[in-house]
Amino acid sequence: MNSVDLLLLSIATPLAVALVIALGLPKRFSIKLAYLGFGVPALISLYLWSQYSVAPQLDGYAFRSTYDTGLRSLGIQLSLGLNGISLPLFAMAGIVGLAAGLYAIQSGAERLKIYLMLLLVMQGGLMGVFASIDVFFFYFFHELALIPTFIMVGIWGGRDRSYAAMKMTIYLTVGAMLSLIGLIALYVNSPAQSFDLIELRRVLAVNPHPLSALAQNHLFALLMFGFGILVSLWPLHTWAPLGYGAAPSSAAMLHAGVLKKFGLYGLIQIALPLLPEGASHWSWALAMLALGNVVVVGIVTMAQRDLKQMVGYSSVMHMGYAFLGLASLSAIGVNGVVLMMVAHGYSAALLFLLSTSVYHRTQTFDMSEMGGLAMKAPVLAALFVAATFASIGLPGFANFWGELAIFVAVWKFSPWVALGAVAGIVISAIYGLRAAARVFFGPATEEFSKTAEKTPVIDLRWSERFPALVLLAALFFVGFWPKSISTALDATVKSVFHVSPAAAPSSVAQK
Amino acid sequence: MSPVQLALLVLLLPLASAALIALFLRRQGTLASFVSVGACTALAVAALMLSFGESRFTAGMEWLKLDALTISLGFKFDDLAALMLAIVAVVGLCVHVFSLGYMHDDGARSRYFAGLSIFMFSMIGIVLADNLFMMFIFWELVGFSSYLLINHYLHRQAPADASKKAFIVNRVGDLGFLLGILWCYWSLGTVSLDGIAKAAQGGMAIRAGIPLLLFCGAVGKSAQMPLHVWLPDAMEGPTPVSALIHAATMVAAGIYMLCRIEPLFAAAPAVALNTVMWVGTITAVYAALCAITQSDIKKVLAYSTLSQLGYMVAAFGLGSLREQQEAAGVTISVMLSAGVGAAMFHLMTHACFKALLFLGSGSVIAGCHHEQDIFKMGGLAGRMKLTFAAFTIGVAAIIGFPMLSGFFSKDAILYLAFEKNRAVFVILGATAVLTALYMVRMWRLVFLGKPRSHEAEHAHESGVSMVLPLIVLAVLSVVAGQWALDLKSFEAVFLHVPEAHGSAHVTVFAVSLAVMIVGALLAWVIYKPATQDSLAMKTPGLFGGLALLKAAPDDTYNYYVTKVQQRFAMLLNGLEQIFLAGVVIRGLAGFVGLIGMGARALHVGSIHAYVYWFLLGVVLVWGFAAGIF
Repeated sequence: MNSVDLLLLSIATPLAVALVIALGLPKRFSIKLAYLGFGVPALISLYLWSQYSVAPQLDGYAFRSTYDTGLRSLGIQLSLGLNGISLPLFAMAGIVGLAAGLYAIQSGAERLKIYLMLLLVMQGGLMGVFASIDVFFFYFFHELALIPTFIMVGIWGGRDRSYAAMKMTIYLTVGAMLSLIGLIALYVNSPAQSFDLIELRRVLAVNPHPLSALAQNHLFALLMFGFGILVSLWPLHTWAPLGYGAAPSSAAMLHAGVLKKFGLYGLIQIALPLLPEGASHWSWALAMLALGNVVVVGIVTMAQRDLKQMVGYSSVMHMGYAFLGLASLSAIGVNGVVLMMVAHGYSAALLFLLSTSVYHRTQTFDMSEMGGLAMKAPVLAALFVAATFASIGLPGFANFWGELAIFVAVWKFSPWVALGAVAGIVISAIYGLRAAARVFFGPATEEFSKTAEKTPVIDLRWSERFPALVLLAALFFVGFWPKSISTALDATVKSVFHVSPAAAPSSVAQK
Repeated sequence: MSPVQLALLVLLLPLASAALIALFLRRQGTLASFVSVGACTALAVAALMLSFGESRFTAGMEWLKLDALTISLGFKFDDLAALMLAIVAVVGLCVHVFSLGYMHDDGARSRYFAGLSIFMFSMIGIVLADNLFMMFIFWELVGFSSYLLINHYLHRQAPADASKKAFIVNRVGDLGFLLGILWCYWSLGTVSLDGIAKAAQGGMAIRAGIPLLLFCGAVGKSAQMPLHVWLPDAMEGPTPVSALIHAATMVAAGIYMLCRIEPLFAAAPAVALNTVMWVGTITAVYAALCAITQSDIKKVLAYSTLSQLGYMVAAFGLGSLREQQEAAGVTISVMLSAGVGAAMFHLMTHACFKALLFLGSGSVIAGCHHEQDIFKMGGLAGRMKLTFAAFTIGVAAIIGFPMLSGFFSKDAILYLAFEKNRAVFVILGATAVLTALYMVRMWRLVFLGKPRSHEAEHAHESGVSMVLPLIVLAVLSVVAGQWALDLKSFEAVFLHVPEAHGSAHVTVFAVSLAVMIVGALLAWVIYKPATQDSLAMKTPGLFGGLALLKAAPDDTYNYYVTKVQQRFAMLLNGLEQIFLAGVVIRGLAGFVGLIGMGARALHVGSIHAYVYWFLLGVVLVWGFAAGIF
């Protein structure tokens, strides 16, 4: 089979399945077909991951293909391909999508058909985001995945869903608009007259840079704050915990796990390499805001009583590490950020999944009304504890490598910033272990005992267990064998960042 | 099989055992326990073959490479690692076998034995690691296995709190440790132990901050003041776990780590070593004072462990010693890394007798139907003869009874202190009085007199799987002293154990004998077999003061957690909700409102409107670009 088609197939399959469901397929068949819609992208992404090292490359991308969409006059083409940065994220999107899809299918949600349809649209968009080389389509696929999120929160959401949906919509729209303005401004100002990232790189990532420092500063600011809002950069993050708290679990898994990485991905692939002077101009500001994520949001996370909000806040906190890695402007840091993004995709999705499973057993998200669940549901407890330790960066799980590489890079940037960043390992241990203890250990609270009397608590069923194990396996795999990602990643990061003066670790912020 | 492969086997066997149990043997407790004990036996055999074998090697492979950053998975197997590996393997095996009996009726044996296996894997990783990144990785993993095992009795609140506290307090130490590693990496350009030694001995200027930050890791893991608060609480775990992790091996990892990076301390300004020395000395005397007031048999041992760890840290901090040696009739002056030698020597003897004492206490607790209060015991000497004999040897070893292992290692430390710092010598000597006091107190209350409770009356000797490890450890507690120093295999470490000569020898010997006798006599005079603490009855003021001393750090910790940290978090959370949600979002919404009609739809509150506007926009752009309009 020609591997060129596979990328398109991974995007088109979920979308096609969604379309068929929308056209009125009966529920029974819809569910069967949904397995296909989630399974095909996952299998393709795994296959491409295994083939990447032997695949022929063109301009640093493997599996290239280009389709004319009638927009050539604007320099827009549907151009697909994977490089070392997008490959692990593409694979992560496929695997997390599969887990979210399976979890949705067993959830028995009301109006399941529409729910699955929206998730499939989201899945198609996500695969497209990481497979696109063209900036326009990169953005387009993001919007395609974003809109179903709003609808899902609005319809299937929990407490405060309309407020949460509204707030999410406003924030994310502003973020998307700012970054769109930034991208268009980049397009207008660059001599490339193209949205093609390879072309843009050829024209812009050269010494001396064709754009003035001032222009770069403005453009970078638009992208940094625009993408930043999408990734919940402090203090523009408040949509995230609220939105995730209200979102149905599969939507939260896909958004927090995968879609949120769009902003970071944009910064890594577009803003940092194409606007190096803008990046170094803003690096200190970005680092300070990122410390807000790590320290301030981290401490706020400790105060949460609602389990799902707590997971949402912790996800915001971890994005701070990613921003710090970017602010360090070094190849080690950027490598670390991508590792972190991949790992966080798996671990955040896993935590959202398990939190919902906890809810189904306790009938509440309020941690002060739980306790002692481990005795009744040991497998759930074991998986939750594993997910918690993954997310707080225990070695053996993927997250550790990302955090470690970022810490190394940040120390070079500034030891004092590193002090704040590394303080995060204590903060995250406090809220993570506190949550695990309150939900699972010690004697059961009165409230939970009553609930358990009414509805007997059963351990995790296999339909819930399987998607969780898939995610956990991915965390272990990368944790034990980081080179499965890092070899290709490092090669790409070095080639993308080799021209920009700020990228070389030797020249970073020497005092 | 080459030595490197053998080392790899030692490392991976317990991991395989843990994985096997976690995946397939969750419900088969008996099978799981045999898998774990079997794996431990095999690894112990292999480890002893390595340790007492000829080969010493370094080997490594690249684990992760990101630009200039390389993290490698490597072994540095020198005499120091060989010694530590032998200790871990022997004590580990004893504890595994003991657990067969002790945990026999436990419903969650699979989880317990899987936890033990993960612990062995992590601990051996620390021992073999050839660089600081790898050491940190396994350092975190032992913290995790400790968390898992402290929290074994899931349904109770105290273990849940204790395990959480242990991990978090350890992470506070690790915060410094990690920063130290980062600093080391960027200033020396390497984190490999060999590289560090080369750089430090090559005359490179080393800021005192680097070793001091790395020392933070040891303060956490080896429970030195002020991060000692987690260790007494960790006694909530099963007693064999306390023996293995919270007495003999994991908590000693901090001292081992210090010995691994000794060149950094030697090259840094003296302030680094002095800090280490005083932290250790203060911990030693403080914990000994706390031990006097404890009534829980495991808590007494826990504070005693803290105190002995303080000895080791103090010994390391005392540093090197210039000694005259005669070789072929010529007297030459050599520099001994006496701190390393004395600390590791005491680490080894302590591992034997403290594991013995803890397992002995486990046997006592099991015999007394899970009674842990020493004032409710008594008269066990006749009912548990073997346990009594073994425990007595342990007590004699820890208080430094002549010719037993503890006597030699404590003497080495006292001599080093005598030569280097008289103040430390006096404090450590006084600590030895206290050690004899609280150990003899406990020994007498537990084993002598008449039974003071129903449980003690019906006490029974433990089964063979529990008694056998006691016997092995008792033998080791006797012979691991002077005899061990002659072992060729660990020559490079024990060469540096300071040995007193001449008048210093007499002084130190006399002092250590005197303090032991004074302490033991005091205990004999003060404590009568009774259901209440005699010291508290006779001098309530003194007892109250000691109790206060013990409680102060715990209270401070609790005050900080509940009153400071949690309130601060609540405050920030409140600000977040009010300020960010209230003001910023309103501002943003206003900003959006200004943008135009499409956005006004948002402001009004309809998501659908947004979707339609977006779709319309896409169609318009597309149509325009394609030239339709």
